[in-house]
Amino acid sequence: MNTSAAPSTPPLARRLAVLRGIDEAIHTALRAVLPALAEHADEDELEALVDLLCQTGTEEPAGTLALIARLDGLVPDPVSVTALRRWAFDGLQRHSTSPAKRLQHFETGDPLSFADPGAQSDADHILARRAALQHYLAGFGFPDFRLELHAPQRGQAAPTRVTVGDDVLLVPRRWSGVGEGGVDTRDRLYRAAMAHAAAHLQYSPRQRPAGNRHPMLLAMLALIEDARVERLMLRQYPGLHALWGEFHVATRLSVGFDLNGLAARLAHALHEPAYADSNPWVLLGRQMFEEAAADLHDVAAFAPIGRRLAVECTKMRLPFDAERYRVVPAYRDDNALLWNLNALESDDEVNSLERELLASREPQKEPLDPLLTVEIDVRRRRQHPEWDYKLEMLREDWATVIEAAVPNPRESSRRHSTASARRSPLRFNALAHIPDRSVRLKRLHEGDELDLDATVDSFVQRAGGLTPDPRIFMRHGRRRRSTAIVLLMDLSVSTTRFVPGSFTSVLDIEKRAATLVAGSLDASRDRVAVHGFSSNGRQEVHYVRIKDFDEPFGPAQQAQLKAQEGRLSTRMGAALRHASEALAAETAERKLILLLTDGEPSDIDVFEDDYLVEDARHAVATASASGVETFCLTLDRQADGYVRRIFGGRNYLIADQAATYSDAAGQALAKLIAQ
Amino acid sequence: MDDAIRPYLIDSEPYYRAAGSEVALFEAACSRGLPMMLKGPTGCGKTRFVEHMAWRLKLPLITIACNEDMTASDLVGRFLLDAQGTVWHDGPLTLAVRYGAMCYLDEFVEARQDTTVVIHPLTDDRRLLPLDRRGEAVRAHPDFRLVVSYNPGYQSAAKDMKPSTKQRFGAIDFDFPAADVETEVVVHEGGVPHDTAAKLVAVAQQSRALRGRGLDEGISTRMLIHAAHLIAEHIDVHDACRLAMAAPVTDDRDLMAALNGFVEAQFGPKA
Repeated sequence: MNTSAAPSTPPLARRLAVLRGIDEAIHTALRAVLPALAEHADEDELEALVDLLCQTGTEEPAGTLALIARLDGLVPDPVSVTALRRWAFDGLQRHSTSPAKRLQHFETGDPLSFADPGAQSDADHILARRAALQHYLAGFGFPDFRLELHAPQRGQAAPTRVTVGDDVLLVPRRWSGVGEGGVDTRDRLYRAAMAHAAAHLQYSPRQRPAGNRHPMLLAMLALIEDARVERLMLRQYPGLHALWGEFHVATRLSVGFDLNGLAARLAHALHEPAYADSNPWVLLGRQMFEEAAADLHDVAAFAPIGRRLAVECTKMRLPFDAERYRVVPAYRDDNALLWNLNALESDDEVNSLERELLASREPQKEPLDPLLTVEIDVRRRRQHPEWDYKLEMLREDWATVIEAAVPNPRESSRRHSTASARRSPLRFNALAHIPDRSVRLKRLHEGDELDLDATVDSFVQRAGGLTPDPRIFMRHGRRRRSTAIVLLMDLSVSTTRFVPGSFTSVLDIEKRAATLVAGSLDASRDRVAVHGFSSNGRQEVHYVRIKDFDEPFGPAQQAQLKAQEGRLSTRMGAALRHASEALAAETAERKLILLLTDGEPSDIDVFEDDYLVEDARHAVATASASGVETFCLTLDRQADGYVRRIFGGRNYLIADQAATYSDAAGQALAKLIAQ
Repeated sequence: MDDAIRPYLIDSEPYYRAAGSEVALFEAACSRGLPMMLKGPTGCGKTRFVEHMAWRLKLPLITIACNEDMTASDLVGRFLLDAQGTVWHDGPLTLAVRYGAMCYLDEFVEARQDTTVVIHPLTDDRRLLPLDRRGEAVRAHPDFRLVVSYNPGYQSAAKDMKPSTKQRFGAIDFDFPAADVETEVVVHEGGVPHDTAAKLVAVAQQSRALRGRGLDEGISTRMLIHAAHLIAEHIDVHDACRLAMAAPVTDDRDLMAALNGFVEAQFGPKA
């Protein structure tokens, strides 16, 4: 449950009080810099900042202290609190397994790299197209490549070209050397980049040792290699010529005579036969390439071209600046896949030695320390994303759901379990009324079509002087769709409280409803599972499968249900995601999650009011996009505000009477199934 | 030949480009009276193959498209009424059995299993179709042939044949033909130049790599021919490919973008 102070306290003071509760030292440190910050930042920004520090403080106290020491002069100018938040969570996410790196991120990391709104919008733009581009790449025969963004960096060091790895394509947050262009141009740029990467993957020898070759030589060899693989690719996919051609814009007038410009012109000349260039260096490159192009598969024949071009450049005394050199056009990758810069080449012996060393090193990648005995945690873990509504982005793999190991029903004697111990006497009729008809309804008094067999019989009867049977019609009945249901029980500590005016705990009521529903559904048609959850921070969302789809609701499962106790908090979003994942494996035509709860989502490491509500809303929306419907049944009479936000206007029911809770659950389910 | 089935005869040769030895295999199996089962993705030429074989063997072809709602009497026939009283009306299967035709049951697994068992006595050495309502057992004409087809790709496990049904058939596995053969088919059927056809086939082959990534089936030969028809009528290549190939196979925007990208990789960006 959230700590709530008296409403009269100003919001900032209330937040500071929360922060003080988390970590005294952080609070003191912040207090020290707060006056300086307040000179530039307004109230809202300060509140957002304290919210952020509450979050990071629980996970990375040392880093948070380091961050506070840097705050003055950083926030709100030049870094907005939003950018700082993005940067902080990126660090928590990226270095989740390495505390040292995480601390370093907060001590020396650069929030400014997240402050560039242009780069951010570029990154969002390409991430929105990630799935399409992965499909596109799969069409070229590389179905398993991931598409990721380069790690954010600022200034000269920021990568502006695609990098092709073994199983991943790293895409720059910002491409340099591309005009503004419309959305269509950008889409074509992405496709051009994917197609070019596919050409490399298909035809280029990868990871050749670079040895001590001069960077300029490497650049020239890469330039020739780019042209070679594109030529090969065009044989199979002729339309790519025009796609790539759009980005070859270098001419004598537009780029000039330095090395970068000449390289761009040569690339253009090798791509486009119609392009005329009078520069002798470009002409030389073109002529040599066309001679070698008789056999494009002969990689060795192309190496001398690059070497000769590099030599000519040296003769012309053209300076090569490796820092500033960018592969042009922009769709081409940085050719990191061609070279292994760390491997020596000079002669074969060194080479083979190196390879042996590498080979012998490989199996030791994950050293197993015999002294270190780690108890292996056999519980299944699964990471789910969470929705950050302030940044409007999904934090990947943020919450960890831990499934309880083998169910171990253990009779526990608890003071408040008396109610659920009784076998429920309630007869549960709602589900009996779900319409269920066979596919073809025959011999009806009225219907859509004549039932031919019945008609014939009827006429035969008439001809025989009998009273004809008037039921000669048929109709196509609606077959009820099969349904898979997860009853998701909130097992947080708040459920152990008694319902006002009774000696029944909320948990008991939940259990009674679960028993009723699980016991009365027709197992031949509907599949039902009873799951429960509670949470202890984002790293520890406990999830228990009390009764799974393939289990009967037998004595073991009933005992398991009875044994559940209320503890910890309510991280609803993660549980909903986990449940809808369980449903995704089901083949039923309809999939439902019925959430039984008593209050709004909360967790110990979240201090912002709306964060978990918004996250749960996002989880519901995601589930519904994948065909899983959610419905919430709550006992909280004040739930109106947030359940509507989470589940939508029609998908919740507030049971105001504890006595009718399980009835309401049954009716809600009957209605849902019949829909 | 009886007049009842004469209309089912195929006059002119339906075009079929053999991808392997299926014509010879089918002929051999048919001459032994073995019922045949054709499996393969949609639009790869199963139905055309049956038409071609019926023409080749000079047999009338009676086609029935199976569906979930089909009953046994839809296949074998039922009593109808006329002025005098009831009169028996042969179903399509009975027609083929009685007078000797090739009976082709398309999408056979769509029919319910209790319906499909009516073919059991026909497909073992009895070669007999009992009409229980009429009290008649129709002995199969020597020319009677049974062919069924289905698409193993997207049928759920629930829709499968009983083992007892399956084991009565010989089967030929169909797939999309090799690129050069498929190009030839598109040139012949679609009326486009070889170069265009080859590009269309390349687009289809890229799309087939997306099978299992949200696409149940790739772009079929049939769709290529549709696109080729449109192109032959001077519709813009990109529009034609979108209309006849990309848009029908998927509703997913990402997949659609990828498919349009494949078209672009052959024909260049849309002007």
